[in-house]
Amino acid sequence: MKQMKRIRTFSALTILSFPFLMQAQGFQVNLQGQAQQAMGGAGTALMQDGSAVFFNPGGMSFLNENSILAGATATIANATFLDADNNSSAKTVSPVSTPFAAYGVYGTKDGKLKNFKFGMGAYTPFGSIVTWEPGWTGRFALTSLKLLAIFYQPTVSYKICEKLGVGAGFVLANGNVELKEDINVIDANGNYGSADLKGAATGYGYNAGIYYKPCPKFSVGLTYRSQVNMKVSNGTATLTVPTSLATNIPSGPFSSSLSLPSVLTLGFSDSLTSKLILALDINYIGWKCYDTLAFDYKNNTPQFQDTKLPRDYKNTFAFRLGGQYQVTDKFIARAGLSVELTPIESGYVTPELPDANRLNFTLGAGYKINKHFVIDASYTYEHFSRTDNNTALQLNGTYKTYLSAPGLSLIYKF
Amino acid sequence: MKSNYYKVLFFAAFASILATCKPELTLPSVSKGSMDPSRYVAVGNSITSGYADGALYYKGQMVSYPNLLSAQFKLAGGGNFSQPLMPASSVGVGASGAAPFMLGYSTDCLGVTSLMPVPVAASGDVSAFSSSVFASQGPFNNMGVPGAKAITVLAPGYGNPAAGPGNYNPFFTRMASTPSTASILSDAVAINPTFFSLFIGNNDVLAYAMNGGASDAITPPTGAAGVGFDGSINAIVAALKANGAKGAIANIPDITALPYFTTIPWNGLTLRQGQADTLNNFMPNGTGGSLYNFQAGNNAFVIEDSTVPFIYKRQIKQGEFILLNTPLDQIKCHYLGSLTPIPNKNVLTLAEIAKIEAAISSYNSTIQSVAASNGLALVDVNGFMSRASKGIIYNGVAINTAFVTGGAFSLDGIHLNPIGNALLANEFIKSINTTFGSTFPQVDATKYRGVIFP
Repeated sequence: MKQMKRIRTFSALTILSFPFLMQAQGFQVNLQGQAQQAMGGAGTALMQDGSAVFFNPGGMSFLNENSILAGATATIANATFLDADNNSSAKTVSPVSTPFAAYGVYGTKDGKLKNFKFGMGAYTPFGSIVTWEPGWTGRFALTSLKLLAIFYQPTVSYKICEKLGVGAGFVLANGNVELKEDINVIDANGNYGSADLKGAATGYGYNAGIYYKPCPKFSVGLTYRSQVNMKVSNGTATLTVPTSLATNIPSGPFSSSLSLPSVLTLGFSDSLTSKLILALDINYIGWKCYDTLAFDYKNNTPQFQDTKLPRDYKNTFAFRLGGQYQVTDKFIARAGLSVELTPIESGYVTPELPDANRLNFTLGAGYKINKHFVIDASYTYEHFSRTDNNTALQLNGTYKTYLSAPGLSLIYKF
Repeated sequence: MKSNYYKVLFFAAFASILATCKPELTLPSVSKGSMDPSRYVAVGNSITSGYADGALYYKGQMVSYPNLLSAQFKLAGGGNFSQPLMPASSVGVGASGAAPFMLGYSTDCLGVTSLMPVPVAASGDVSAFSSSVFASQGPFNNMGVPGAKAITVLAPGYGNPAAGPGNYNPFFTRMASTPSTASILSDAVAINPTFFSLFIGNNDVLAYAMNGGASDAITPPTGAAGVGFDGSINAIVAALKANGAKGAIANIPDITALPYFTTIPWNGLTLRQGQADTLNNFMPNGTGGSLYNFQAGNNAFVIEDSTVPFIYKRQIKQGEFILLNTPLDQIKCHYLGSLTPIPNKNVLTLAEIAKIEAAISSYNSTIQSVAASNGLALVDVNGFMSRASKGIIYNGVAINTAFVTGGAFSLDGIHLNPIGNALLANEFIKSINTTFGSTFPQVDATKYRGVIFP
């Protein structure tokens, strides 16, 4: 009965989330663990493996074994744009990206430090790769964007008692950004100008969590991953323009910054039976930090000024629900779904990220090869579309995106 | 055990199928609504003809707004659209026989080299004026004739060389069915149009304005067909819709949107203190002693003004225009605009501007009422140009009406660039769709260029 009640709580939460569907996820990448990916991304209260470094440093001390984990997910995204004014359409020709995640967790069973676990993680929480087909109608806004942030996170977790654990990690963020667009100046051969802004970025932050397990079947997790301000201090702006404009529109260094949002997560996990576990995560994502994308060029001229592009993202929620079922001793099946509400307001959708509210379906499996090795696979599928008239660009149309992300990881336990 | 492998295989197969699957968006169907674009005739002046950079030439004609419109019309019942094309190999020809401008390097009298509009050739292709294209390419759907006014659209023999130089329009001669008798309107009506566009009236003020008010006359807003603007417009529309054709009519943009009038700053006379002192000594300053006041820095140019007693010159006032055809070398090296006043033909005074604006305002009232009483789509080109002068953005492309840098205007400062024409065509499409319930898509203006830079 008690369990039944909890199931109802789960579904009520899920349903409650839908009225917010009109709001909505940005370039956050939720690919930090195959087991969690297979379960809609839920894992703050369910300690699966070394990915606890990311999902809940507080629960990391509850892991039974030391382990090393490495995984990657092939992300295949295809988008189409249809211009509502001129009926021209364009497709993306984006390359496949492979966000990865790797973790190591180590602790001793005895001694002074037996309640501690030490971990290290490297993962890609934010990224976006989009390349639009040549000559598309929005090419003066964007031809391609590559954005990738890799977080390195040394982490300590302490089990206060059998029911409660806390943990925290320091985040060192390293990133790359490359943005390309055409410039509306043309030479005698019919070549338009182009801009290529490329830079490396660094930033700092932290990831802290509490894990509470009041009874063996039920656990709660609360984590806070801080905002990370990525600073591009020495970027290179390469501007290709007709010769007569080279001094008016000069190449040179630029600086910029990009705020990656904080994520506050409350998670629940419940063993309904000895074989079936459900997990729910609720994310509150601080996207409001991304209000402007500014580029400060060193070599300004009257024709070439710094740019400030309004983004005006808003804070948003995501709901992630998943289940896993122990089919045999060696084999686990997983499934889940997530609802991610877009942080992008109407009038602000850009071709760099034609985001919308998303409903994702996920599947996956884990297979225990022997006592040392476990292999996990997941598959995520999303499709979403968004119609918007971008106020700053006056680009009016519909974006439709299919995203397919199969992933694989290997765990070595010792 | 075995089933696990099947599952992995299943995942892999599923993933690879989705990986190749690209999202499709269905194109909306295009409807012509209650208009019939099968025989479209465009009546107008140089803007309609595709004239640009000071000349009529093949590439400009290909991006004339009626030609762009006709391509969109073809998506729902539009027919062939024939234009009196210049040969693709021809350099093109302007109204005074000159070649079109391009942006090139020019060294001024001070030895300073900078980007300036320069002719692409020493002379334009004047042979075009004497070689008729009617037999080979006509009859024409694009009846845009450079230099045409509302009052001359109805003129029979408008292209008749027998009238003598200056009394006929050679651009019409080359395209008229019978130059000795045809009018622009009679050749347009001969197409038996099912749909027409009419964009005429600019030259009824521009011929005056571009000569600084020194020659030609503003067409009276009221008067009989062939004499006054309203009578002419009514007669043109009546003839074009005689067989039940529907149409669109465009109003006239204010001249303040045209770089030809707004590029040279009124206070562009830059002086050092010594130069200012010299001018203050040299220039007889009238009885009141307040005619001139030269200072170091920016000063108002000196212009001819026949209304100033005895000396017939004064400093220009803010809001008055110095036209783009003013010889800059004379200003830089020969005291034009200071010791020598800028001639009347290169200047529009406030009084002249007021006359022009009153005429445009009156023309536009006529156009609005003609549109309403004849069920025509009214294309607010005046509003469009006014917005453009403040800057407009189209799919991330910023456009304004500044000379060269703004992108909308060609190098003559009067006629539009290809991207300007595309945006103008879109104004027609929006109004046509609203009026006739059609759903023609707009032109993708990003496919059309602005100014070419070397």
